[in-house]
Amino acid sequence: MKKRGTILVENIVFIILNIIFLSVLVLFLVKQGSGAIVLEQTYSKQITMIIDSAKPEMEIKLDMEKGKKLAEDKGIDFGSAVKIIDNAVKVRLSEGSGYSYSFFNDVRVSASAAKDEKGKYTGVYVFKVNEKILQNE
Amino acid sequence: MNNKRGTDKILSIYWFVVLTLVAGGIFAMVYVFYGPPYDVRDIESEIFAERIADCISKQGIIDSNFFTKDGFNKDIGNTFTQRCNFNFNVEEGYTKDEIQYFYKVEFYILKDLTNPSFSFFDGNSNWESECFIQKKNDKNYVRLAKCTEKRFYALSEDGNQYLIKILSVIGKSEKNVKQ
Repeated sequence: MKKRGTILVENIVFIILNIIFLSVLVLFLVKQGSGAIVLEQTYSKQITMIIDSAKPEMEIKLDMEKGKKLAEDKGIDFGSAVKIIDNAVKVRLSEGSGYSYSFFNDVRVSASAAKDEKGKYTGVYVFKVNEKILQNE
Repeated sequence: MNNKRGTDKILSIYWFVVLTLVAGGIFAMVYVFYGPPYDVRDIESEIFAERIADCISKQGIIDSNFFTKDGFNKDIGNTFTQRCNFNFNVEEGYTKDEIQYFYKVEFYILKDLTNPSFSFFDGNSNWESECFIQKKNDKNYVRLAKCTEKRFYALSEDGNQYLIKILSVIGKSEKNVKQ
């Protein structure tokens, strides 16, 4: 009886250690997939492709819920996570990082994070595409 | 005796070796999967070609600006990029300070589909040659520019039919391929 009990404890400890090990690996994988560097690049290129396909007067809404969570965790204001500088989209979800990618569509784009009635960010970004105003010399 | 065997099983060097191998394998796979940047140039060149086509014809009729009384408007090539609202400036991060875009448009009459009756291009013409290199599934070819060729038929306002070929090319390998 005693022998059987010992074997069972061994096996349980063995299984628990395996589960802990696999859980750590899965957490690592999930964290890698939703890391700031990967998400910044993904959003930046996604927004660029959207703007390239867009035409003036269009308003595009993009769900960036994952980005919002990450930015809040890293202490970044989600409202300033996406910036359109000249013809490049810059996404920054953590301190000291950021990824920019340029679009060829020569339009004026404004980006703003949507807020709910309470003034909290909804996780959706709104992009308004307008024709570029040509400045007369 | 049983306790000793159990302790040996859990903490044996063999067990740690297996753990290290599995963990190392997974770290390596993650690095290989997430390490290289996402390559969006195929999609980008498709969109680029679509935008060029939209600028040339609307509902199958070629824009009247392409023609003069004497035939094709030779000056259209100088203004096409601006007319279509294309901006070839790129952000920082490219090793060479050169244009990362190229496009070429060719008009063919149906009687002669080998020699274009009119053509124009803009952007960095160095990229064009990379479109004609046979790309194999080899990492050495991944850094080459991505190209899209689009063909469609359209009519001029006076009813002549043309085959229009568009070649759009995106460089940007620094931001899309692991260097």
